[in-house]
Amino acid sequence: MNIQEIRQLIRIVEKSGIDELELEEEGRKIRIRKNQNNVVVATPQNGTNVTYAMPTPAPPPQTPTAPAPASSGEGEATTDSDKYYEVRSPMVGTFYRAPAPDAAPYVEVGDMVSPGQTLCIIEAMKLMNEIQSEVSGKIAKILVENAQPVEYNQVLFLIEKV
Amino acid sequence: MFSKILIANRGEIALRIIRACKELGIPTVAVYSTVDENALHTVFADEAVCIGPPPSNESYLNPVRIISAAEITGADAIHPGYGFLAENPNFAEMCESCDIRFIGPSAEVIRRMGDKSEAKLAMKEAGVPVVPGSDGVVSSVEEAIRVARDIGYPVMLKAVAGGGGKGMRIVRDEENMENSFMMASAEAEAAFGNPGLYIEKYIESPRHIEIQLLGDNYGNIIHLGERECSIQRRHQKLIEEAPSPIVTPEIRAQMGEVAVKGAAHVGYRSAGTIEFLMDAQGNFYFMEMNTRIQVEHPVTEMVYNVDLIKEQIRIAAGERLDISQDEIQPVGHAIECRINAEDPLNNFIPSPGKIEYFHMPGGPGVRVDTHAYSSYMVPPFYDSLVAKLIVHARNRKEAIRRLRRSLDEFIIEGIKTTIPFHKYVINTPEFQEGNFDTHFIENIYDTQKVKEIIES
Repeated sequence: MNIQEIRQLIRIVEKSGIDELELEEEGRKIRIRKNQNNVVVATPQNGTNVTYAMPTPAPPPQTPTAPAPASSGEGEATTDSDKYYEVRSPMVGTFYRAPAPDAAPYVEVGDMVSPGQTLCIIEAMKLMNEIQSEVSGKIAKILVENAQPVEYNQVLFLIEKV
Repeated sequence: MFSKILIANRGEIALRIIRACKELGIPTVAVYSTVDENALHTVFADEAVCIGPPPSNESYLNPVRIISAAEITGADAIHPGYGFLAENPNFAEMCESCDIRFIGPSAEVIRRMGDKSEAKLAMKEAGVPVVPGSDGVVSSVEEAIRVARDIGYPVMLKAVAGGGGKGMRIVRDEENMENSFMMASAEAEAAFGNPGLYIEKYIESPRHIEIQLLGDNYGNIIHLGERECSIQRRHQKLIEEAPSPIVTPEIRAQMGEVAVKGAAHVGYRSAGTIEFLMDAQGNFYFMEMNTRIQVEHPVTEMVYNVDLIKEQIRIAAGERLDISQDEIQPVGHAIECRINAEDPLNNFIPSPGKIEYFHMPGGPGVRVDTHAYSSYMVPPFYDSLVAKLIVHARNRKEAIRRLRRSLDEFIIEGIKTTIPFHKYVINTPEFQEGNFDTHFIENIYDTQKVKEIIES
């Protein structure tokens, strides 16, 4: 499913009376949900939620749908999912930034990464698992520390889309 | 004693285990899939670790994720609850090799008793009566006829590799044996890739009566009486009680002694249950052994005043059993109803979704084991058990009255539940007289009557 197809699907949902559309194809799943003025696109596999503000035809004259204030207060830039891709842990284990205790970390903040590039290791039951990037971009933030335990779906990196 | 216990389960049993740990002063770790983010067990536990997406094989049934969660939290023991990995010998072995105590019997015992024919053989060796049958696979129609003549009709042809009712056929007399044998064999081949069949005596109108056992690591094993579990639908228990309305103290002592003998023979420890089938003449035969704590354990707890989960934890930590067999005397009567998110008017089809309003009954002798609450979303990925309603009273009659009263007080709105079904069943004369067998539900179930209860 490429970006052109996704754009087409969004247009279809937006113009129709459909509130929610879920499509599964070759192991990839996409869910598009109408949320008043916004159309939310979620791909449950990697937990990404991207919200597109669609121009609605003649919205009802009432209070504009202001987004709920971000709970973290500081975070419009860091949690702005238009700008950043969240790398989430696919497993439970211990996070390591480098292949070995005395080796250089796989990535640092500011590094450019491409799909397939190793970002970190998560160790579980004595087995090391390399976690690879699925996107291109720049490492904006590293949200966990070396040797920190991580759970499934925990956000590890923010990659700025370029 | 353990420094931290991880509960490898969810729902009401996870809560149950957390409660026992709290009373023992042991910190707890809950594990959850993303859909169980707001589940009560994650709130009640001291720590909670998200282990995967909703599908069980990527979360609650996934040994690596669970053991990783134990590693990162420093848990030194895992309680598997029931279902999921509770009777998975590989998981038990993995825990031990990672220096984490698996709260249950050894992997070896789980493996042995999990194999139906090995278990039967082990019980036979121990002198436990087993359902008469062939010694393993029956290789020809002629042999089948010989065996059937020996044990007497009616007999059941069963697939060696089978389960779930497939490759099973009841044969009532010799003239039907050839045809049934061919058909069962073909079915077994198609369903399990193995045409092998064995024969067992078919017990008409059986009652399902099981014995609760507790064994420590030092060879001390006691029984805690029986549970009557004949009220079933498609082999799923719906209503259980202790004691059984037809078991006298003499029969209890006899069954208990036999069950302990069987458990001792395989070196059993922790909590476990031996299930028997009882025929109309009162003969009982070994059916299978469950090497875990069971859903219906509360009725035994109420009647024998024991906390089975705490005992499991103590035993696993190496303590000696401090309950003696003579102390085990039933007091009063307990009945449990399993309340499922299913539509009793629509073939019990699952009914997941949001519980809009939830109100549990209370008062004397009422216990509710549940993870549900108002606004809780019952997920579609796991079993449909929403709550267990257990009542305890001085005798069976009073227990039934108390049960009726509590079912009337139990409000669950937003989803369909089996509460109306339970109200119907406990009002039947057969239930009130204690006169039923495992075919009871399929014989009496009347959708119209349940509908009337819902509408009233």
